[in-house]
Amino acid sequence: MSYGTHGFRLRIKALFHKRRMDRDMAEELAFHQAMMREKMLREGASPGEAETAMRRDFGSEARWHERLRELWQFRSLEQLKRDVVFSMRLLKKSPVFTSVAVLTLALGIGANMAIFSMINALLLRPLPVPHSDELAVIRINYGPQIQYSMASPFFRSLERRHDVFSQVFAFSRYPFNVRMRGGIEAMPGEMVSGDYFSGLQIWPILGRTLTPQDDRPGAPVQSLVLSYDTWKHRFDSNPAVLGQTLEVSKVMFTIVGVMPKGFYGADPTERPDFFIPLATEPLINPENSITKAGYHGWWLSVMGRRQAGVTLPQASAALATATEPILREGVPDANWIAHSLKDHFRFDAEAGGRGFTYMRLTFSKPLYVVFAMCGGILLLACLNLTSLLLARGASRERELATRLALGAARARLVQQMLLESFMLGAAGAAIGLVFAPLVSQSLSAVLLANNSIAAPHLDTSLDVRVFGFAVLLVAVLTLLIGLLPALMATGGSVSEHLKEGQHASRSYTRRALLPRLLMASEVGLALTLLIGAGLLAASLTRLYHSGIGYDPKGLELLSFSMETEKLHGDALAERYREIGEGLVRQPGVRSVSFVLITPFMGMSWDEGFTPEGEKTEKDMWMNVVSPGYFSTSGIAMLAGHDFSAADTASSSLKIVINHAAAKLLFPDRNPIGQHMTRKDARSNKTLSYEVIAVVGDAKYSDVHVPAPATVYLTIAQNIDPFVSYNAVVRMADAKAQAGSLLAAARDVTHRVAPDIPAPTLTSLYQVVDNALATERVMVLLALYFAAVALMVTGIGLYGTLAYATARRTSEIGIRIALGAQRERVVALVFRENAILALSGVVAGLVLALFAARTLTHLNFLFATTAHDPLVLALAVLALAIVATAASLVPAMRASRIDPIRAIRCE
Amino acid sequence: MFREKDADAGQLIQGTLEMLILRALTRGPQHGYAVAEWIHNTSQQVLRVEEGALYPALHRLELRGLLAAKWGMSENNRRAKFYQLTAEGKKRLEAESQRWARLSAAVAFVMQAS
Repeated sequence: MSYGTHGFRLRIKALFHKRRMDRDMAEELAFHQAMMREKMLREGASPGEAETAMRRDFGSEARWHERLRELWQFRSLEQLKRDVVFSMRLLKKSPVFTSVAVLTLALGIGANMAIFSMINALLLRPLPVPHSDELAVIRINYGPQIQYSMASPFFRSLERRHDVFSQVFAFSRYPFNVRMRGGIEAMPGEMVSGDYFSGLQIWPILGRTLTPQDDRPGAPVQSLVLSYDTWKHRFDSNPAVLGQTLEVSKVMFTIVGVMPKGFYGADPTERPDFFIPLATEPLINPENSITKAGYHGWWLSVMGRRQAGVTLPQASAALATATEPILREGVPDANWIAHSLKDHFRFDAEAGGRGFTYMRLTFSKPLYVVFAMCGGILLLACLNLTSLLLARGASRERELATRLALGAARARLVQQMLLESFMLGAAGAAIGLVFAPLVSQSLSAVLLANNSIAAPHLDTSLDVRVFGFAVLLVAVLTLLIGLLPALMATGGSVSEHLKEGQHASRSYTRRALLPRLLMASEVGLALTLLIGAGLLAASLTRLYHSGIGYDPKGLELLSFSMETEKLHGDALAERYREIGEGLVRQPGVRSVSFVLITPFMGMSWDEGFTPEGEKTEKDMWMNVVSPGYFSTSGIAMLAGHDFSAADTASSSLKIVINHAAAKLLFPDRNPIGQHMTRKDARSNKTLSYEVIAVVGDAKYSDVHVPAPATVYLTIAQNIDPFVSYNAVVRMADAKAQAGSLLAAARDVTHRVAPDIPAPTLTSLYQVVDNALATERVMVLLALYFAAVALMVTGIGLYGTLAYATARRTSEIGIRIALGAQRERVVALVFRENAILALSGVVAGLVLALFAARTLTHLNFLFATTAHDPLVLALAVLALAIVATAASLVPAMRASRIDPIRAIRCE
Repeated sequence: MFREKDADAGQLIQGTLEMLILRALTRGPQHGYAVAEWIHNTSQQVLRVEEGALYPALHRLELRGLLAAKWGMSENNRRAKFYQLTAEGKKRLEAESQRWARLSAAVAFVMQAS
């Protein structure tokens, strides 16, 4: 009966004033009784007669209270309380089942939440700025390809247009050498355009932000804005910091403002220490300015804030229309424009409310794959629990049938059983919730390990979305694991259950199809996870084996930032030679050489080369090395000879090409002694190089693809001024102490070039490891999930089979009594399970093939086919062992059934 | 619901008790005993409201917002719970009495038909 809001309010009140309400009821009745007694006495009854009449009329006081109280209660709430207590008692009664169920769910839910909080941090969480939904990322649509970095002239044209965007702003991360009290330190900073802060609608807590006036070439003072963390930790939260100067990469900056706590810019994974205007880039890089490289320098991430009322598609359309004029403004080369336009080059916009980060491009795919695997584990846990609950429900059939017969509504029984599964799910989620942040933090630490400076940061803290996800999971889980068993257990006809004996086999066989189906799908799903994990693992092993073209073990990398020394050509080569000589004398060092671009560190450089006598330009990846680089790193010299000290800035230009380049440039002739030319964009001169050697292929910027066509120049002949090289040090012993090498390198640097920052040390093996970090994490997770899947399947199979066999005790007992051999009984039980497992395997193989094809499609498999026979065989074998073990135990137990006792049970 | 002196009076129509309670309270705030007594006396001792039905009905009407209850002093100076019609209750009584009038007239027509 409904009492509307009024009654609801009264009943809520009653809920909190229970004692007073009971007192009031008692008093009201007592008053009525007193009035009646007085009346009877007035009418001449004796006190005894009055007492008897009243007791007859009113009956038990407790019953009265019960009746009235019921009116004032929320019936469902009270019922719920009773059900919870009942369910708790039931769960407590079977601690093994409960703990297995809760742990399985905790594993599944915890893993899902950990991955979800990473997805949340990287892909879902909006930027903490006002009206973040108005932000858009401006990108370049290059036919089917999308390009996210932008050249300065394009950005400056975009910045001036205000038709669809109120502000367009750009930013670029950069590691700076900052002079602090303790000496020069490398600090991550961000170069940002004038409208950056106003576009993000973020205001400082101290001073002011950067404005378009600061972002002008030739501004009289260079302004700098500190992040809150830097202000707090480096400047002791001193408000007098405003107006102080800070030397950043040899340029003096004036601190003009401090940003609020928690603001880290438009890239959610960055934690810059300070912000400086984009226009100061040519001051910091006077000789190698990317800004000055014009449309050749692609280095900016560009975002905009949409004008009120402008939709994203409208903004995109406006950008597409503006493409040609923007290109004409920024690019002097008409051919280039025509070429780009023909390639469908156009600007467009995508939603930018979550900020822009390259990490999203790198990690979203692996995250989704891992998330899918997590979902598989959870589904497996669900299937498992459904079969266990089904078995449990079946064993309670008599109890439930009796309750139904006594007048309990089926809906009530279903509700009570659902409550049981809800409690399991909630307990699992609670445990999962505790561990999820730990797991996701360590996961992101591994994922992001490959950035030494300006370490990106993934904030995986729990928020409303993660909790919402957990609640959703528990709700879906409750229905998924509870509904079917509850309906099955309460669905039978009452009399049938009561007639049947407790161990009768009829109801089992009648309902056997469903549990079998569940178990077969469990086996299938487990196999799919196993095969997926196996394929990823095989792929990673092959990546390590196929290597990078040389042995990274025992190779150390030392980075020297030499830009500020303003050296080039022979002088630079000479400086590095001095450092090399200092290093090679250190104990444990076998040889030292230098290289511009180290593999997999995110740098790349390509140029067009034309073999002599041909017209078409071929794209080559570039690198610059010192003489001896190939022997130091272990790249094979296939033909010709290495650079030497005689190859100087003034001698004729020499070049070394790799095998892939030789095949591409000179497919039909011996490349040694051939010439090839390239156009230098800066001087607009054509340079001619003589090929002096062909070397083995070494991977360049991506470990997953075969080595690209690469050419090598030597340091003295590199015309790009003021660049820095990395020392590659081959240690005599792979286990040699790297620490002493770094100390020695610092000494040598201090002696040879006292003004440059101390070198940093990484091992090349570490670099390769880091380049494969995503794969390693995925494989680690996949193998872990596979192990969990095996375990969960084993538990599930054992539990369900053990139960099913126990239900057949009397049948088996009769068989044994009639003379069946015990081995035959084992075989009988085992055969049934084997058929079940086999059908699961077949289904799993089909499913796995689809999953593997998806992995191939997503480029996760390297040198591994989707149906790698070894992986398939191993996965089936592992599953077969687990399934056999899980069904052998119940089969053995069945064979030991004592026929007399089994039959007496009936 | 009712105990009747005349055993032949038969069953009263459902919901009638609530209508009678509402009617009893048109004279102003009353405690439960007075409501029962008033119905008993006014019906010429035909209708006798059972306590087992009276109090649940009063509380139900209170929960529905048709009655308001407060504690006060009775005529013989004892604490008693007084019930009072709310605006909602008055409206409901009006609707119920009209319905009752139509119903009884209709029953009378049928019974008097020749």
